[in-house]
Formats: sequence, structure tokens, C-alpha cells
Amino acid sequence: MKKLLAIVLALVMAIGMMPVATADGLAGTYDIKVWVANEIVDLTKQQIEDFNATNTEGITFNATIEAVGEGDAATQMVTDVEAGGDIFCFAQDQFARLVQAGALAKLGTRAQQTVQESTDADAVAAVTTADGNMFAYPLTADNGYFMYYDNTVIPEEDIDSLEALIADCEKAQKNFAFEMQSSAWYLASFFFGTGCISQWNADDSGVFTEVHDTFNSDKGLIAVKGMQKLVTSPYHVSSSEASAFANGAAIVVTGTWASKDIEAILGDHMGVADLPSFEVDGQSYHLGSFFGFKLMGVKPQVDPAKAAALHLLAQYLTGEKCSLERHTAKGWGPANLAAQANEEVANDPILKAVYEQKKYGVVQGAIHGSWWDIAKVIGEEVKVATSDEDLKAALQNYEDKMVSLFDLDTSALLFVGAWNGWNNADDTDTFYFKKGDDGSYTLTLDVPESDYMGGRIVNPGSWDTDKGFAQVTTGADLVKDLGADNPDNNIVFAAPGNYTVTWTGSEVTIIQN
Amino acid sequence: MSEKRVEPSSAPVQQHMGLKASRAISNTAIYVLLVIISVIWLIPFVCIVLQSFRVESTWQVGYVIPQKWGLDNYRNLLQTDFTRWYLNTFIIALITAVLQTVIVLCMSYTLSRFRFKMRGPLMRFMLILGMFPGMLTMIILYRVLKDLGMTQENAVPGLILVYIASSGMGYYVSKGFFDTIPKSLDEAARVDGATRLQVLYKIILPLSKPIVIYTILTAFMGPWGDFVFARYISFGASAGKNVAVGLYDWLSKDQINKSYTMFCAGGVLVALPVTILFMCLQRYYVEGVTGGAVKG
Amino acid sequence: MANLTDLEYLRLNRWNRFIYRFSHFFTEKLPNGLKNFFVGTGRRIAGAAKKVGAECVDIWSTFVNGDWKTKLSFLVMGFGNLARGQILRGILFLLFEIVFIFYMVTTGAYWLSMLPSLGLQGPSKEYDPIYDTEITIPHDNSFKILLYGVLTIFFIIAFIYTWRVNVRQNKLAEQILKSGKKLRSGREDLRSMVDDQFHKTLLALPLTGIIIFTVLPIVFMILVAFTNYDGAHNGYSNALFSWVGWKNFDTMLNWSNNSGTQSYSATFGEVLTWTLIWAFFATFTNYFLGMFVAMAINKKGIKLKKVWRTILVLTIAIPQFISLLYVSKMFAKDGILNGFLLSMGWISQAIDFWGDTANNGLLARIMVIVINIWIGIPYLMLIVTGILMNIPADLYESARIDGANAWQQYTKITLPYMLFITGPYLLTSFTGNMNNFNVIYLLTGGAPTNAAASSAAGAVGFTDLLITWLFKITTGAGNYYYLASVVGILVFVVVAVISLIVYNVLPSIKNEEDFQ
Repeated sequence: MKKLLAIVLALVMAIGMMPVATADGLAGTYDIKVWVANEIVDLTKQQIEDFNATNTEGITFNATIEAVGEGDAATQMVTDVEAGGDIFCFAQDQFARLVQAGALAKLGTRAQQTVQESTDADAVAAVTTADGNMFAYPLTADNGYFMYYDNTVIPEEDIDSLEALIADCEKAQKNFAFEMQSSAWYLASFFFGTGCISQWNADDSGVFTEVHDTFNSDKGLIAVKGMQKLVTSPYHVSSSEASAFANGAAIVVTGTWASKDIEAILGDHMGVADLPSFEVDGQSYHLGSFFGFKLMGVKPQVDPAKAAALHLLAQYLTGEKCSLERHTAKGWGPANLAAQANEEVANDPILKAVYEQKKYGVVQGAIHGSWWDIAKVIGEEVKVATSDEDLKAALQNYEDKMVSLFDLDTSALLFVGAWNGWNNADDTDTFYFKKGDDGSYTLTLDVPESDYMGGRIVNPGSWDTDKGFAQVTTGADLVKDLGADNPDNNIVFAAPGNYTVTWTGSEVTIIQN
Repeated sequence: MSEKRVEPSSAPVQQHMGLKASRAISNTAIYVLLVIISVIWLIPFVCIVLQSFRVESTWQVGYVIPQKWGLDNYRNLLQTDFTRWYLNTFIIALITAVLQTVIVLCMSYTLSRFRFKMRGPLMRFMLILGMFPGMLTMIILYRVLKDLGMTQENAVPGLILVYIASSGMGYYVSKGFFDTIPKSLDEAARVDGATRLQVLYKIILPLSKPIVIYTILTAFMGPWGDFVFARYISFGASAGKNVAVGLYDWLSKDQINKSYTMFCAGGVLVALPVTILFMCLQRYYVEGVTGGAVKG
Repeated sequence: MANLTDLEYLRLNRWNRFIYRFSHFFTEKLPNGLKNFFVGTGRRIAGAAKKVGAECVDIWSTFVNGDWKTKLSFLVMGFGNLARGQILRGILFLLFEIVFIFYMVTTGAYWLSMLPSLGLQGPSKEYDPIYDTEITIPHDNSFKILLYGVLTIFFIIAFIYTWRVNVRQNKLAEQILKSGKKLRSGREDLRSMVDDQFHKTLLALPLTGIIIFTVLPIVFMILVAFTNYDGAHNGYSNALFSWVGWKNFDTMLNWSNNSGTQSYSATFGEVLTWTLIWAFFATFTNYFLGMFVAMAINKKGIKLKKVWRTILVLTIAIPQFISLLYVSKMFAKDGILNGFLLSMGWISQAIDFWGDTANNGLLARIMVIVINIWIGIPYLMLIVTGILMNIPADLYESARIDGANAWQQYTKITLPYMLFITGPYLLTSFTGNMNNFNVIYLLTGGAPTNAAASSAAGAVGFTDLLITWLFKITTGAGNYYYLASVVGILVFVVVAVISLIVYNVLPSIKNEEDFQ
């Protein structure tokens, strides 16, 4: 009898420990809170009901849906993760901040695979951390800006030239609305147009490990010169509102979300195009733009069954059917590949303009939240600048603040690379080290093929060069030996490639990746 | 302050004709000035009312008079959670008005009438407390209320609790008032054998009608305008918002173009009862602020 | 400046008196005050130590000399009361002790033990292979530890105090019984609550509220300034936060920050300067214009006084979030005012009231002061009207007989009287304006952005006051609560210092008993 009991017990335990088919495990009713933008509250309610009715797992969601906009959701989540929505939508730039706050649950293996297969490749990159894990579901792929114009004021042939557009507006005494004074998101357009970059990398805990930023460069100077043409025009207004058209604008640079309102104001006179080009010193640069995604996140849960069910719901809501419904109802451009291929979506003139501009766009990766505040003041400074020196000062101010940002977060240490010798200001790149828990500084950098391929490690502000070549202990074979004639401790790489440099306080380690 | 006091310039009647003429001129100038001031004061309110009836568009425009008039904005209001927010605010304001008055009167009466050992240190302590900016304490209050289950959907009791609990700090105005009621009244009653409690509700309270009404009025008006703390406590839950939070969100970047005229309509509906109540009880309010300012 | 005798002082004219008081404050009062403060503090500490010593001796002698009921009460609170027939008091004491012990054993001990570290283990993440999902299990919560740790300390202090009262009552009861008198019954206790102890009854509820909802949060806020509580260390869902000592004050107040950018201290200085300028103008423009309007309305011969007053007080009646938000939109670049001016052809391009950064945002700064007049005049009008009625009419009469014109009457009678009466109000109004969150936040939100002063903790605008800056820091990208706490403490210091100076210089700080 005892033996039998033992066997039964062992069996029960074995069954209990066996991976159960999720079908049984997930069935149940879950009370959840969902945060979406005001305009899709009703639609989402309907979609969750559809999910309840059609899912084969036996999941029933008892959902409370609240209108919390994409802009607000991240701030709220960071303030109190516990009280936040179980599922919430947010703009991509908030991704790292949310990961850092512990507000996003990592996707399971199967979920990651599903997203990988079914979603726009850039969007997949947007939800992936530097460590290669996904933390959210791409919801839309239309978060970029382009140009709406009044075609009774702007002739078709002028839409490719910024200078012509400004002249048209001034002639017609109409406004050119492009939000240059209060938004880094729009302002970056000029910088991306000349090929400047601002790339940020964050690890799995959401901490920014490095930034590669070239706004303060000759290219950046060209960008601000172009920007100066626009912001000093008396008819420039810093706005991205649809209502600007109702208040005397002939051009508004904004995104898809404004299309319905603008159509209501302009009717048949509405024209849509990608951004124009501007000319500095005889050379033409097509305006770039940020291109981003709206994402849907699942809050970390304690109950694994609820977590899994929520992930299924998020997959459903970002899937083909729901994406198409959102496009039909509100014109949102889907991130889901199957939905993108849908005829109705593919022929949408607005989405066409979005994707045309996307060619010049920079996919918005994770960006430090403070960058927006740091960068947006450039517009103000350019507006009052009277000389090239003022413009340069604006860029220098920007870079100083970037440095101080790292000072606050990670205590800065820079690697200044001078790829064609120190006299070519053009080819200087600044990389920021990340301070590790053990007090050492690390950075990963790409050394381009060039004449010099060297740089130095410095302290921002003081520019001390006491750390560098003299301390290279590991990886000395990867760098050229400059001998005694190296007072600045320059490190010159022997070959181009991707390197990781670590500085521990007394030793420098260089590893080729 | 009664209205029947002598006005400052009611001096002996002027005999001189020249003075009369110059007074007429200066009075005309003052009338012109008052009309100008009144217009400036009224413009924003007139604009809100006019915009709330504009139906041709829902965003900001550069003109005042609607091209098409209608009640659409008010009708649309009822489709939103506005009624819920309105009710929330009304309940909060009502309960706060009653309980806050009780607390403030307890506090100010005690500090005006009793001389006990800790009185001085207590008043100094509260003066010092009042110098700290309250902004940051919001975060902590939110957590305390959250642990009590009084946030988000249940924000209404939470807000009431916080408004009432910290109201003891605002005792200055009514203490100033109680200070003006002669102490001999209390003492006479005490000699007759009345307890302190009896002195309070038989002698002092009947004399304090103006200050009681003032306290009720200010306590009632406060909750209608709280948008920072109330927003924090409701934390994304529409059911827990008050009107200020709800309307404030309508002017956020992604909603302003759809909700601007609705904001105006909501603003009118919020301002209406508060303003009417205020106008009816204006006399007591005047006594309150005057007394408070003079007696510090 | 030499000390003047009373007679010499009285000979000075008003302005020189003020100068004298002002400089006297810094040369004499402040140093003396500081000296007295430190000497006094030393004396007070010595006094307190002596008192504690005396208390201990008293407790000890109560124990040694007391009977067994008293002795047992040291352990079981209220036992003496119960044994001597004071059931109500006894039960209350006992109940309090039971609640306290229960609380300490169940949770209090945990909070207290965690307080020095603010938590040992952050949340852990686990992969659940069955459901193919990651779950997060929370452990310690720094925020709660700090909050309830402080609360527990409050509770312990309350317990020690109650225990002491319990001991003293036993001693008293013993003495009373020994002298052959009777103890107070429960009924008498209840009666005393509405009579000779009435003030305690009345204050119990308000003070409890203030302790939990005002004192506790402020203590918490001050403590946060010594931690690294921010968006990256929120204490429960990512990393725990911990004590960092004075580091945050160093970050905020250190003039150099080792990089080319503006330091926090410089930004703090800029914002503080504007806060003071704003408070000065906001207070005095309202004060004088409000007085002027009140006098205009109250002038003899002006009709419809009630109507004018009613129109003005609309701005008090209507909630500010409606009126100010609306006015802010009216002045926006695409707002009604610009629309009107443009359609009239008076301006050729819209005026950017809130966005013009020229001259440190001078336009926006002037605008907020002007619009604040719109909000502030009505209050002043009401106050001044009340005070005007109190100025004895015969003062004006005799002045007129002496041939004083209206301006002379104003400067010689009205203004001095007014300044004397409203001195304290001006001070509270000044400090109130320093913390006037609503007007700035609703009108400009701090705009236009101050390019040079924007820091990693968030953008700063030219119209930002310390209080709105503080708010921006907490809601900004990094949620630097610790920096905001430091700013909060500094705001307190500034307000306290100003109040101290003004209280000492103002002539009209009167003894409150004078009113009775």
C-alpha cells in the first residue's frame, strides 16, 4: 500500500513538473489594465473582446482601458510601475528609460521569434537592447514627419527646395511651420540631412553605455547654417500643429497623426510630400528626419500565467488583424509586415510620403531622455546667432552638455579619435566611456580605415592626457608603437576594426572584436 | 468690517464750485478707467464662453466670434467621462468643505483661546513647516494613499483625506477672527459654569458666522482647481480624476486639436456653479481676506 | 553704524530709520542673534540633558519607592490605573502597549532594521520555462523602508512619551491616594476632555493629520536629499536606492563641475535671481495697482461700486487652471491676440510671447508679471477696501483743512497707514509669490527655454521659479528626486532667511495680544 502511494505521489509530482502544454496553463480570467491613446480606446476595447471570443487558450480578459497617451504613459510608468497599465503604448524614444525603470517585461523565446518573423526589421531593432533581447512589441511604423502643404500657395515644382519654399511663403505672407524652437525631434532634421549622427547604446538594464555623436562638427555647422535660413525667416513659426493651417500657415511639417485634421482644414488643397533639400555653399542636402515606432509593452508580472497571457494579447493587438483595423479607423501605419503588404495600406498617399521620407530618415534608436532637452535649445541659439562663431558656440554648448550628462550618469572619460591626423578637424570623433561597477571605464568603437587611425584618452574639461598609450598592458600588439615621441599618450591602431578599450585607472586593455 | 462704516472721503460737503468741477473731471476719468479695466478683466471669460459655442472647428483659431453657433461641444462633453469627473469634484468639494471647516475651526479656536505650554512652540513649528515647498511631499502622499488603497479609481476618498488632514495649517485667518471676539464673553460664561465645549458652541460659534462661511467657501473652491496633486493621485485612471485633471489633459499636445472647444465648454460648466456661489457669499469672503491680511 | 539712542533714532526721517534698521540688522542683530542662537542652543542642549537626567532620576525613584502596582506598570502599562479603579485610562494605556508591541513584532522591527541600508535585495527576474516568459519578483522596497522606517521612529517616540506619562500617573495616583483624596473617575476624565483639557481634544485630530500628512512627508523629503533616489534607482522595480551622504548638496552647490557646461549652482543662482525679481514685482505691482483700483472704486461719487467689484473678483471665483490656461493660449503664437493684431494689420508677424529668448526671455518675463496683475489685483482691492474704511475720516478732514491735496493725503496718510497695517501681509505675499507654482506653470510652463542653463536633470526656462524647476526635475527624464529634494531644502532656507530679515526690519510686527 505504502509503495503504491509512493508511486502515485511520484507520478503526480512528475506530471506536475513536466512542461505542461500552455493551453491548460493559461485558461482563466484575468483582471488587467490597458493604457492606450485616447483615440483608440473604443477600438482597443472591441479588439480585446474579439480576443476573448476567439482565443483557443481559454483566456478571458477583464480589461479596464484607460486613455493614457503615448507621451504620458512612460512618465507615469516610471513614476510608479506597480500602479501602471499591464499593457501600455509608448513612443520608441522612451524605450531605454522604461527598460531601466523595470517597467517592461522581457519577451519569451517564442514571442521574440514571432516578432522577428512578422515585423518590420527596423522596428525589431527598436525593441531590442544592446544585449540582444526584446522588451516590447512594435505597434506602428509611421512615427516620422514629413511635409503637408497648401497647394494653392505652394507650386508643385518648389517642393524640393527649402529656399524656394521659404520664398513662396514670404511672398504669400503665409507661415512655414516647422517646430525648430521647442523640439529636438524636428530640429535633428537638418543635422541628419548633412550626415551627422547621434547614436546611443544601452544595455539590458537600460543604462546608456556609449554615445557616438557628431553634431558638433563641420557637418553640424552646415546643418545649422541651413537651419538659420529657415528660423530667421519672419514667416517661420515653430509649430507642428494641424491648426497652424487654420492660422495662416502654408506649410506644416508634422506626422501622420495630423492628417485627418489637416484634411478637414485644407480639403482638396492638401498636398503631401517628403521634406525638401537645402543648399549651403553650393551643395545640396536633403533634410533628414527621425523615424520611429510606437511600441506596446507588457509590465513585468509576478504570476507567470498572467504574464504569458498578457504577452499573447500584446501579440494579438500588434498582429495583422488589429493593425489593419487601426489603419482603417485612424490611419495608423502598421509595423506588422503582413499588414504593411495589404493593398489599402500600400496605396495610402500619406504613408507613401512617410516611407519616401524614411529613405532619408534615421531610425530612432534608444535615446537618453535628457538628450531632447539638451538638443532642443540649438534652435533658439541659431535664431539669435549673428555669426558663424555664434553657431559654433551653440554646437559647442550642445557638446558640453552631452559631456556633462555622462558626467552625471557615469562619470565621463572620452576617447577622441582623429582618423586622419590631428589637423583634420573633419575626421575627429568623440566616444564616451562607460563607467563600470568596478570603477573601470570601457568603450567599444569602430576605427575606420584611414591614414592615421589614432586617438587619445582624455578627461573632459581638463583634457589631461595622462592615460593612454603608456599604460597599454594587454593588446599592445594591436597598436603602433610610437616610441618615446608620444607626449600625448596617443593610441594609434595598427588596423581598422572594432575594438573594446578598457581603462582601469592604471592599465589600458585593448581587445579586437 | 461692516459696510456701514464711514467712507474715507465723505468729508464735509464741498462748497467750492471749482472743486466740484474738478471732481467731476476726475470722476469721469475714473469711470473711463474702470470701464477699460472691466473690459480687460472680462475679455478672457467672454472669449471662453463664445468659443464653447463654436462648432465649425475644434482647435484654436485667431478669431473670437464663432462662424457657426451650436451646442455640439456641450453635447460631446456628455459623451466623455466629464460627468464622472464633475461628480467626483463635487463630492470632494462638498465633504472637504464640511470637514475642513471643522478642523480649521478646532485649530484656530484653540490657538486663539487657550494658553497652554506648547502653544508658542506649536505655532512657530507650523510657521516653519509652512516654509517648505509642498511640491515634493506629493510623492510621499501618493505612496501613503496607495498603501491605503486610495489612489487611481479610488482617488476621491484619498484626495478628501489629504485636503482635510493638512488643512490644520491654514488656521491664520480664522484665528485672527477669533482674536477679535472679546475674551470677557468666555469668562462670563465660564463663571456661570459652562464647560469649554459649551462656550464654543453656545457663545463663540453664533458670533462667528462670517468666518465659518468664509472657511466653507474657500474649502469648497479649492478642490475645483487642483490639477497637480489630483493628477498624481488619480494616476491614469479616468474614474478617479477631478475636472481640473480631466480638462487639463485635453489641452495636452495630442488632444488639443480635438478637444480645445470642448475644454472651453467644460471650463464654463466648472466655472458657473463656483462663480455663482462665490458671488452670493462674496461679502463673507471679503471679510475673510481683509481680516486675514490685517491680522496676519 | 553706531548704535543710536531712542531719541536720536526718533529724530531721523522715515527713510533713514529704515536704513538704520536694515543695517542695524546686519551689523548688530544678526551677529548677536547668531551668537545668542549658538549660546542658547548650547544652553538648551545642556538644559535638555539635565532634564533627561532629572526624568531618569524621577523614573528610578518612582520605581524604587512605588508599590507593586506601580512597579508592575513599568512593564504592563496601565496596570496601576486598572488596579486603582481608573478603568478607562488603564484600558487605553494597555491597548496602546499591545498595539505597539504587535506592530513592532509584525512589521516595525523589519522597517527599522532595514533603515540603515534601505534594503538589501532588489527585484529578481526569473525565466519561467513552462510559460516561456520572464517574471519579476520584488523583494525589498527602499521607498517603503524609508517611509515606514520614519513612521516607526515616530511611533517609538510616541510610545516612550506615553510610557513616561504612564509612570508619572502611577506616581501621582499613589500620592493622591496616600493623602486620602479620591482619584478621578472615568466619567470625570471624559468631562475634562471637553473642559479643562478641551484644547487637547480639539487639537488631537488636526495635529494627527498634520503629523502624518505634512510632517512625515517633509521629514521624508529632507532624507531623500541624502539618498540616490532617482529614475534609475526607484527602490523597488529596478535598483534599490541607498544613503549617499552630502554628495547631492555638493552636486547642487559646487561651482565647478569639471566640464565646460554650466554647473547646477550657476543654474540655481539664475533661477533664484529670477524668483526674487518675480516675487518683488508680483507683490508690489499688485499692491500698488490694487490699492489704486480700490481707491478709485471707493472714491466718493463713483456709482455702481458693487458692479465694478464683482467684475474684478471674477478672477478669484473662476478656478485658475481654466482662466490661466486659457489666457496662456490667448497669448500663444497662434492664439487669439496674435490673430487679432494680424488681422488688424498692426503687426506683420505673430509675436512669440512665450518663446522669445531675446534678453533672457524678457518679453515672457514681463508678460507673466502683467498677467499676474490680472489675477492679483482683485485680492488687493478687497483687502485695501476693508482697510480704507478703517482709516479715521477725521485724519483726512484735518489734512484737507491744512490744504493738503489728494497726492499729499495719499502719501502722508493712506500709504503709511496701509504699509503699517499690511506689513505682515506683504511678507507672506512675497514668500507666497516665490512659490507661486500655478501662475508660472499654467501660463508658460517655464518657457522660453534657457539654453545655457539646461542640464542633464531637465530643461530650465527663463520664467521658471525654483518651485517649477523643482517640479520639472522630478518629472524630467531622469526623475532626479534627490536633486529636487536639495532644491526644496534650499527653497526653505531662502524663504526662512528672507522672513527672518523682514520680521526684524519691519516696524509693524505687533504683539498678537494687542488685538484683544
